[in-house]
Amino acid sequence: MEVYEVFRRGGHREPFEHCGNVIAPDADLALLLAKECFLRRQEGQHLWVVARSDIHFFSDESLLELAADKSYRFASAYRDVVGKRERAHERVRELQAS
Amino acid sequence: MSDSFDALVTALADDELIIGHRHSEWTGYAPHIEEDVAFASIAQDEIGHASSLYSLVGGGSGPQVDALALGRQPEAYRNAVLCERPNRDWAFTLARHWLYDHADDIRLEALEQTSDSKLQQLVTKIRREERYHLLHADYWMKRVAQGPVDARSKIIPAMSAAFAEAGGLFEPFEQEDQALDEGWLPLPSSVLLARFMNWATSALDELGLPGGSEAEAVIPAEFVASSSGDLIAGEDAPVEEPVLPAGVGGRRGRHTSDLAGMWAEMTTQYRENEGARW
Repeated sequence: MEVYEVFRRGGHREPFEHCGNVIAPDADLALLLAKECFLRRQEGQHLWVVARSDIHFFSDESLLELAADKSYRFASAYRDVVGKRERAHERVRELQAS
Repeated sequence: MSDSFDALVTALADDELIIGHRHSEWTGYAPHIEEDVAFASIAQDEIGHASSLYSLVGGGSGPQVDALALGRQPEAYRNAVLCERPNRDWAFTLARHWLYDHADDIRLEALEQTSDSKLQQLVTKIRREERYHLLHADYWMKRVAQGPVDARSKIIPAMSAAFAEAGGLFEPFEQEDQALDEGWLPLPSSVLLARFMNWATSALDELGLPGGSEAEAVIPAEFVASSSGDLIAGEDAPVEEPVLPAGVGGRRGRHTSDLAGMWAEMTTQYRENEGARW
């Protein structure tokens, strides 16, 4: 028996989303069981099962953390750009007037 | 609508109700949680099919569905004996589920040619749901029959026991001759039985499971339905009751004590709260 992760989506425009898992001896039976466990009430139109052993992940998840200041990668770091531009326009008008 | 139509539909519905109830007894006890949900769902489907079929009895104006499902005495049920047998273990349940749903598929396929449009539409709808049951039964059976040794050693006797009574699913319906004449039933039960046996022989062979020798014993071919619905052996039937092959008798109300026990539990609420609605 193996664990199969179950993904479903509502329609062709929707992304597949993880919704749970089932334990089954093979992918065929996993699909049949997943249909009854996760698509009982028309929660979606498409179903995937993936053997958990086929899923790859970082064994050390601290790799996913930011080790240094990467604030320049965030939009929030650029909130003062509008103000800066306003001040620049102001300065141009001052120079043209003088 | 005619009596023979009602007899046919009642027998089909009784099979679905009784096996559906047996399946439902696994709820909370199935081998693992996913299967518990899946099998409970199949049980609900079968009982749902029974409900839809009962609603056709009497041209839709007959007794209400609950009264037919729960308001009759055990001897009034016309289900095949195989359906009423206790679940025993998962192996027997699985063997019966596999045999029953394939037998059901064979007769439903034939019933898609029935002359009654309501029944025809319902059968088409039921078959859409039965596709899942067949897949479920086939996958399980394939997995179990191919081993490991423990699973195989359990499925072999379970299949023998279930298969020995499977022929009873094709015991002629009451008033079958009239149902054939009037077109409700497109093919006689004997033809459906032959189709079932053909399928079963090759399917069991493919799975490496025994069954061939028992097949000879269960074919109730020497019995034909009389106009009263009784089975008689040939033209000059002896007056005494014939000894029926294994699994036969249910279609005329000759049940085992297994049905009485199940019936008592199944109908408790209905009997104790007369007229209650839920």
